[in-house]
Amino acid sequence: MASREQELSALPQASDPPRGRLSVLLGRLIRPYLHDEPHGPLPELLGRLIYPFLHGEPPKPQQPTGFYTDTTVCIGCKACEVACKQWNQLPSDGFNWSGNSYDNTNELSATTWRHVKFIEQFSHESPSVPASPDTEESESLLNRWLMMSDNCKHCVAAPCHQACPTGAIIQNEFQNIYIQADICNGCSCCIAACPFGVITRSELGGHSHKCTLCYDRQRDGLEPACAKACPTQSIHFGPIDELREQARKRVEQLHERGVPQAYLYGDVPGETYSEMHSFYLLVDRPSVYGLPDAPFNPWLHMMGDYVRSVAGGLAAIAVLLVVVFLLKP
Amino acid sequence: MHTDSRPQQASAEPLLPERGHEVGYENGPVTKVPGWHGLIAWDALLNGMATGLFLAAAVSELAAPAVFMRVAKVAYPVALVLLLVDLGLLVLDLGDPSRFHHMLRVFKPGSPMSLGTWCLTIFSLPLTAAAALSLLAELGWDFEWARLLAVVVGLLPGFASAAYKGVLLSTNAQPGWKDARWLGGYLTNSALVMGCGEFLVLSALMGQTQAIAILRTAFIVLLVLNVIPLGLLFANLRPIHAQLYTREQQWRVGALIAAGALIPLGLMLLKGSVLSISVAMIFLLFESWLVRAVYVKIPHTSPLEVRSGE
Repeated sequence: MASREQELSALPQASDPPRGRLSVLLGRLIRPYLHDEPHGPLPELLGRLIYPFLHGEPPKPQQPTGFYTDTTVCIGCKACEVACKQWNQLPSDGFNWSGNSYDNTNELSATTWRHVKFIEQFSHESPSVPASPDTEESESLLNRWLMMSDNCKHCVAAPCHQACPTGAIIQNEFQNIYIQADICNGCSCCIAACPFGVITRSELGGHSHKCTLCYDRQRDGLEPACAKACPTQSIHFGPIDELREQARKRVEQLHERGVPQAYLYGDVPGETYSEMHSFYLLVDRPSVYGLPDAPFNPWLHMMGDYVRSVAGGLAAIAVLLVVVFLLKP
Repeated sequence: MHTDSRPQQASAEPLLPERGHEVGYENGPVTKVPGWHGLIAWDALLNGMATGLFLAAAVSELAAPAVFMRVAKVAYPVALVLLLVDLGLLVLDLGDPSRFHHMLRVFKPGSPMSLGTWCLTIFSLPLTAAAALSLLAELGWDFEWARLLAVVVGLLPGFASAAYKGVLLSTNAQPGWKDARWLGGYLTNSALVMGCGEFLVLSALMGQTQAIAILRTAFIVLLVLNVIPLGLLFANLRPIHAQLYTREQQWRVGALIAAGALIPLGLMLLKGSVLSISVAMIFLLFESWLVRAVYVKIPHTSPLEVRSGE
């Protein structure tokens, strides 16, 4: 995608998506309370009550976009983390020593939407004799760094999206999972549902936050800040079909170059989980990178759980009714 | 040049990592714990007590109005109070309680929380009507048909309000919860058991001998029946319990839960006095809370903390 950073200020700043008639009417009613000076507690309260019910018309679907992260070329520079924080105006996590290699942010959170992971795979025994050519390859596998820039997976069938009771989490026109911060009420259902541990609730406002895949930049034709900043092109951004093709070619290339363990994680749907619009090229088991080996969508169990729940209640009601009818005078 | 190293060390002391922190990512938890804490255990208990009391009273009254009508008129206001406290806890558990009404912004049947919120909201309307009309009847303004209509209308949303809670907790990615296939079955069944017990206590306090005789029998059968979903739930949770708790801790909790189930049963089989009914109900509520608390605590508990006795 062409980068037009310099033209950003010249672009017309897109506002909220266009709204339906009812929403337009409601919007006119409360606009003075939202944008002008406060007129007192009652109008402000009215504005707060009506505002969440303003539903916009969804924008026209665009070509699905996403990330393909090639972990084999990540150098752990954290430029993506910094760019993400800078663009999205996220607060610092402090200068903490985690004790886990060069990782100082530890995890994805409401204030860290990109997280670079450092995995040190080093044998503690130093070889006493020079290694033979046969053993060099196996030792290089044992003595290596794995680095991975992690973020929201933007799952096609996202459990957080399915769980969200307020409609704050949407799949936007680029088929990315997006949290509308002005709608989220911090119920935490998305946190419980996410099998990757991506989302947390902010301590500041009490709302959930995560990677937006730079929705604002995409709407202005710009690539996400992390992909723009990545100096090794470990983070690729673009139309998802093109990314998948590119990633498969890269896996083939790695296999030819003697890295047979390279594979893609999340590019295609599995038996228990959908494909992801942010997928990864890995060279070790997913759990080594802190990813679930076999992600499972909890919604696959839901209907059965409802059946058992209703059965448990109906059985009790049946017992009560039988006893009442048998013993009543 | 020699200098004492201690002051230097003190002034430039690095921020040390926490003890016991795992290096790498393989053995750490992948999922994040939702910030519901202990409130959700009380929410699950009060939800069961409110919906169960309403359902037990409504079903009994509609099946045998001559026996249960007087007690039911007291039960509906009590159920309403329990429900209001429960709704208050649900609002407090939000990250931004002032946005509680955003829950009603959309209706998503695929989201157990959305379905549950709508069911609770709809249920609160006929329950409020039934409670208000019951109180008005006591004051002499009797609108019997309207009260019965409210009771009938409240049955379906009341049942759904009881049934959604377990599914909400089992439909997620949290360790333990995600494997608890019988949580919904247990919680809904338990709501009816508690409701029957509460209705029995009210009948005993009001001296309704016919209602006591019928409800005592129903309560005994329901207590026995409740052991089935409880056993199935614990079979679901056995693997995660084995990871989180020592064998001794598992036995201790198991013994407390068994006592909470068996003591009310024994008391009910032995005697039907107000005192024994009340004590039985206290034990049942303790057991119901304990099951919910132990279950709710699972994602918030790390094996290390539990095993080291913290």
